[in-house]
Amino acid sequence: MNIKNYSKDDLDNILSIKGNSLYSDAFKRLLKNKASLVSLIILLLITLLSIFGPYLLQYDFYETDWNSIYLAPSIESRHYFGTDGNGRDLLVRILYGGRLSLSIGIIATLVSVLIGVTYGTIAGYFGGKLDTIMMRIVEILYSMPYLIFVIILMVIFGRNIYLLFLAIGAVEWLTMARIVRGQTISIKEKEFIEASKSLGQSSFMIIIKHIIPNLAGTIIVYITLMVPSVIILESFLSFLGLGVQEPLTSWGVLISEGSREMETAWWLLIFPGLFMVLTLASLNFIGDGLRDALDPKEY
Amino acid sequence: MIQLIIKRLAIAIPTLIIIIAFVFGLMRVAPGGPFTNERALPPEIEQKINEAYDLDKPLIHQFGIYLSKIAKGDLGPSYKYKDFTVNELILSGFPISLTLGVSAIIISLFLGSLLGIIAAIKRNTIFDYTVMGVSLIGICVPSFVLAPILSLFFGLYLGLLPISGWNGGNIYNLILPVVSLSLPQIAIISRMMRSSTIETLNSNFIRTARAKGMPKRRIITKHVIRSSILPIIDYLAPATAGLMTGSIIIEQIFGLPGIGRYFVVGALQRDYTLVSGVMILYASLLMLLILLSDILRGVLDPRVKIK
Amino acid sequence: METILSVNGLSVNFDTSQGLFKAVDNISFSIEKGECLGIAGESGSGKTQTFFSITGILSDNGTATGIADFNDVDLLKLTEKELSNIRGKKIGFIFQDPMTSLTPHMNIGNQLIEVSMVHEKKTKNEALKKAKEVLDIVKLPRIENLLKKYPHELSGGMRQRVMIGISLMCDPLFIIADEPTTALDVTTQKEILKIFNDLKKFKDITIALISHDIGVISEVSDTILIMNEGHIIEKGNCQEVLISPKHEYTKHLLSCVPEWMK
Ligand SMILES: Nc1ncnc2c1ncn2[C@@H]1O[C@H](COP(=O)(O)OP(=O)(O)O)[C@@H](O)[C@H]1O
Ligand SMILES: [Mg+2]
Repeated sequence: MNIKNYSKDDLDNILSIKGNSLYSDAFKRLLKNKASLVSLIILLLITLLSIFGPYLLQYDFYETDWNSIYLAPSIESRHYFGTDGNGRDLLVRILYGGRLSLSIGIIATLVSVLIGVTYGTIAGYFGGKLDTIMMRIVEILYSMPYLIFVIILMVIFGRNIYLLFLAIGAVEWLTMARIVRGQTISIKEKEFIEASKSLGQSSFMIIIKHIIPNLAGTIIVYITLMVPSVIILESFLSFLGLGVQEPLTSWGVLISEGSREMETAWWLLIFPGLFMVLTLASLNFIGDGLRDALDPKEY
Repeated sequence: MIQLIIKRLAIAIPTLIIIIAFVFGLMRVAPGGPFTNERALPPEIEQKINEAYDLDKPLIHQFGIYLSKIAKGDLGPSYKYKDFTVNELILSGFPISLTLGVSAIIISLFLGSLLGIIAAIKRNTIFDYTVMGVSLIGICVPSFVLAPILSLFFGLYLGLLPISGWNGGNIYNLILPVVSLSLPQIAIISRMMRSSTIETLNSNFIRTARAKGMPKRRIITKHVIRSSILPIIDYLAPATAGLMTGSIIIEQIFGLPGIGRYFVVGALQRDYTLVSGVMILYASLLMLLILLSDILRGVLDPRVKIK
Repeated sequence: METILSVNGLSVNFDTSQGLFKAVDNISFSIEKGECLGIAGESGSGKTQTFFSITGILSDNGTATGIADFNDVDLLKLTEKELSNIRGKKIGFIFQDPMTSLTPHMNIGNQLIEVSMVHEKKTKNEALKKAKEVLDIVKLPRIENLLKKYPHELSGGMRQRVMIGISLMCDPLFIIADEPTTALDVTTQKEILKIFNDLKKFKDITIALISHDIGVISEVSDTILIMNEGHIIEKGNCQEVLISPKHEYTKHLLSCVPEWMK
């Protein structure tokens, strides 16, 4: 092998050039995929609406109006999605709920990515006994009914939204750790890693500078697939009354209220459900599209 | 085979003990939990807890007692229901949850696999697109959205099915809960089965079977299925975990007094002993299922035996 | 001499994401009864797809046009069902990769006997008797024991012998062997080629032997076809072609054969 011929700068150049074109190509391929493109637009729309929508609407999300209880959706009343049993405007509440559901999705995912990537690269990079033990632990945790764990955590430590982020993040990292470990092992074999080692770079620097950038594609794909499962998890807990509490609201809380009142007001169930399902479906399509885009097949 | 079972048990039992230790530890740190000293409980329960767990003895001793009680199948007194033990509560809910869970798992495995195989054989036809489209909905619509919508439609609008209650296990009362519980799993399993069947259909040994002039039906039944079902066997335990958590919601929505119901009530009321009892029951059941799927895999795949 | 297979104007096209790909382009050749035809050419030249198309086992994205008369029946006009009555019964097929070409969850015995049981409606016992016969022909030892084994318990050479055995179950007229020795070591390669020579000599079976290795072909073949990029470049008597190749490409192929083989 002619490892010694690479200088450190060369290596960084090779990697970054290859990396950049790989990702911009992948992005172009993603935009060509119609399902992903439509999903991307829908997701962007829902996100922007959740952030800015409440400022544009004339109703506030806690504003109760006893004269307009259970109003069906209509354009004249300006309650486009109707109102609930307290006369609050459903659309505003859905958008506020979206803020919370989406941010829990993103924050908890980031927590689990952080744990998962650290854990996975360490196990994969150092290998041997350490790897065996670390992966056995993951395997054991994997066979747990983890949602029940989260519920127990919520029971013991009280219903606290920050804890919710942490608890969800703490159970969702397992898949990430497994995938990252597998990828790390295959990247580790590559020539440029050997080269960096022979140049005397520390393991920590090699992981930060060479392994993690090469994992970026995989991590992005799994983020898009993990956010929906976190959103579901949060809604699940909120549905049971163990998650987000009034006066705060999330899609799970709204769906839960809606399902209790569906006999009187179907819109209270259908609209929050629709927003949630659209978001989940979009994220899934984007994830699938990204996976295909980053790993194009021949035929 | 026996070796495999022993090996699996050697992993499963310590795992269970770790879970129990974890649950025990959590209850110790839980404010007002059964293993802490400061708590405000009705005197009857206070006394029962003291009797049950020897709270004046050292910690490790307490854990020993806790563990040996669980090994004997005794989950202790309920923390909130004066007149019941956790065993009694779980036993009263178990038949309901078991009926629900077993029907759901059988239906999801059977329908999911069947739809997946047919979609793979007829890939890129209307049938394939329909199954995949519907299963996509099944994946993106969580059960707590699906279940209320189903009962809104079939129960309230069409008036075809009861939307709540157990009614002694009447089949009509079962339909909506079982369907809402199975649909997401059918969706996942059919997608899994489709892609593994396509992979098998493209493999070299299927080409050999075709070159041998075997009829289509025989190729599918004798050569394809036993290979393509393997990922589903591995998915058995995760599917069960999914159904357990799913049933917590479904029992809530359809007002069924199963274990999941007790779990939620226990969780909301901080009935620590009840919640941890359910947790331990679930974990044991899952271990059993992992063992079962290992055995099944050993039966179906001759390559497993030598490992 | 009696022609057993006569191919006329055969083309194979694949529908790919980059458009239509012509893997085999309007080729014609024939095989006489009892001879061995060698098909040589670099990898990717269309050798395999030629014979996949004739026996109807192309991938879903492939289509074949032309005529392929086998015993005066045009194979390309038959339905899948009619073809499957010929495959395995009158035409045996041996594949390149013995490691993955047997069903992993079926024991060797069952993989053998199902051929006779389906095609000849034999009982299990009759089929087992035949299975033992063919395993003897391919020189596998300890046959009783072997019948109960699974493919993963066998070496590559043994698996390839089993594959040959499978192709012999219904006493076929014609065997197609697609790179049968490519995945095997040199000693096993020699032994397998000897089996083909015996089949030709003693059983009067017609053989199409595909290989990228002219050395392998020259051991068994009477006539030879040289293929390149979906075309037939040269055909004729094996020895004549090898001694005095007319085409540049053939000379190039020959130059790749190690000296001692010639
Ligand atoms: N399913 C397919 N789709 C597209 N192209 C294919 C397919 N199968 C084979 N090919 C192409 O057809 C050509 C001929 O292949 P083949 O006959 O297998 O070559 P060989 O001479 O090595 O046996 C190759 O270029 C191959 O890439
Ligand atoms: Mg070939």
